[in-house]
Amino acid sequence: MAIPVNGSVAGPSGLSFSAVQEAIKAGLYADLANIIDTLELEVSAAGASKPQDWPYAIQILAHVFNHDLNSARFVWKRTPDAVKQSNPELVAAWKIVQCMWMHDHAGVYAALRAYSWASDVQQVVAAVGEDYSHGMLKLLSTAYSTVSVVDAAAFLGLSENDVVTFTSQQHGWVLDPATKMLTVMPMVAAATKKTDSSQLQNLTEYVFHLEH
Amino acid sequence: MDSLDALVAQVQGFSGTDDLLHLFSLLKQSDELLHTHAPRLQYALSSLDPAKHSLGYLYLLEVQSSGTLSQEQSENFLALASTFLNVCIAEQICLAPEKFNMVCRRVKEQALQLQEPLRAILPLQAAIRKLQPSSEFLTAMHADFLQMCLLAKCYKASLSVLEDDIFEIDQKRTGLVPRDFLLYCYYGGMIHIGLKQFGKALEFFQHAITAPATVLNAITIAAYKKFVLVSLIQLGQFHDCFVQVPLFPKYTPPVVQRNLKSCVQDYVDLATSYVTRNIADVKGYITTHEDAFKSDNNLGLARQVIASLYKRNIQRLTQTYLTLSLQDIADNVQLDGPKEAELHILQMIQDGEIFARINQKDGMVSFQEDPEQYNTSAMTMRLNLEIHNIVRLAKKLTSVDEQVSCDQVYLSKIGRDRPRYETEDFDIVPQKMYTNL
Repeated sequence: MAIPVNGSVAGPSGLSFSAVQEAIKAGLYADLANIIDTLELEVSAAGASKPQDWPYAIQILAHVFNHDLNSARFVWKRTPDAVKQSNPELVAAWKIVQCMWMHDHAGVYAALRAYSWASDVQQVVAAVGEDYSHGMLKLLSTAYSTVSVVDAAAFLGLSENDVVTFTSQQHGWVLDPATKMLTVMPMVAAATKKTDSSQLQNLTEYVFHLEH
Repeated sequence: MDSLDALVAQVQGFSGTDDLLHLFSLLKQSDELLHTHAPRLQYALSSLDPAKHSLGYLYLLEVQSSGTLSQEQSENFLALASTFLNVCIAEQICLAPEKFNMVCRRVKEQALQLQEPLRAILPLQAAIRKLQPSSEFLTAMHADFLQMCLLAKCYKASLSVLEDDIFEIDQKRTGLVPRDFLLYCYYGGMIHIGLKQFGKALEFFQHAITAPATVLNAITIAAYKKFVLVSLIQLGQFHDCFVQVPLFPKYTPPVVQRNLKSCVQDYVDLATSYVTRNIADVKGYITTHEDAFKSDNNLGLARQVIASLYKRNIQRLTQTYLTLSLQDIADNVQLDGPKEAELHILQMIQDGEIFARINQKDGMVSFQEDPEQYNTSAMTMRLNLEIHNIVRLAKKLTSVDEQVSCDQVYLSKIGRDRPRYETEDFDIVPQKMYTNL
């Protein structure tokens, strides 16, 4: 790991964020958290303070994308108060984390839409939103046998009409119009069950270990 | 050429592999010289290359950073030290682990002084790797590194070091003292709490409690307090057995076993009240003893104990009933109503802690078996990984066992404790050798 030594870090939109931008462009959202966290440590080790255009919002959202709310929370905690007050985009991103932490599903979708994000942040926000609604759909179909239209709409961030159309057409859920309840069809997860010859190698090694 | 210039020239000349030991003995004698020339060390350092003259650089840097530093000096020291720790040659600095530890400790102290713990994380991480003969060795910097991660709230950054299994504690090679080990366990446990990896946290605290000791110390007591709370959160959640304050393992030092419980009475009482599984009792106990928990900085953790009791009570229901109404669950577990019961159940399903399906139409929950069939390739991979780890551990254990059974000190003690002539001594020939030692 290289530590820039004499470096005051490049100013606004300097070179140091090129890795971040590239990862966003390539859609490698899962790598973002690591890239920015490492950069943060390197900047500090060099004795520099964070530049004005530090991607705070992206840093928080990157952890959210990895389902690591703890780390997202710590990013917020280690951000100085002055930055929190002057950076509305960061505050908006933090709002998403708060809603997720409290399991306020409708709040998450509202928070995702509540701010007009900068274009690069918008891409991460969109990825977070998509991942979240996908996760919620999976949760709904494992945790419920019947669920009200209102709740399903909140979980998936859709309007009541949309949620009925979406779940019945794509997933075969059935609406009971009298009670406004959806009967949930469990998702069949496709898991690979194949084994290959490397397993045999492993087994050989275990037997060898047990006999010696 | 005065004496300091001469020393610098010697460092430049003797930093090769062949002359290193000679240089080492020269440096050991020049402590006084360096201190008298302290103000000029700044310039002397600039004529040395930390990546080539690491041993000499270390000695100069140590003296230069002793005493109280002004803000400018400490900025300057941190800059020099962070480069040095990053590029220094491991073989050179390993000759003087005590000096190296001192410089690292000052990195920590100065970063704290400037209130920038974040700054010390990478330099200390580099320092750990330089001094470690392998990743299985604990160093004196481990605890400082973890402390910086905690203070800077960079919990994740600590994992690269924390995930290494430590097997070796070598005072001679790393200049470690018992306090370093205890703090490593304590801070390691705290980081795992922050990341909500309670199982791992328990392991770390247990190491702190069971470490060999002849007197009880504050770190052990603090670790035990957290140990009690975390074991309620973690074990209360998964085991249905009668949860008690976990008994100490057999190898816990007697002084710790005898005295520890009386130092942490509040925590032991909380655990006793937890056993009743009565939410109101546990909540009441934490509220009335709030100050005690707060002054230990454990109030947040104590509150998580309450949350874990809800979960544990719900889990108990799954073992008795196949279906149950949300209202009944709420009554049973002392939740405010069916809606809150639904939220708890949903959360537990999401975390994989129970298997159930909620029927909102009838307000019922049906509990199910774990659907895992153990036949996917992902599960095979996990099994393989676990077996692999166990095999590795077994090998390690065998080698440690061999090492101990060949150890002079161990053998002579065994020989002393054993009555000199026992009947079996005459029967089994190999055991004779112990008595002769």
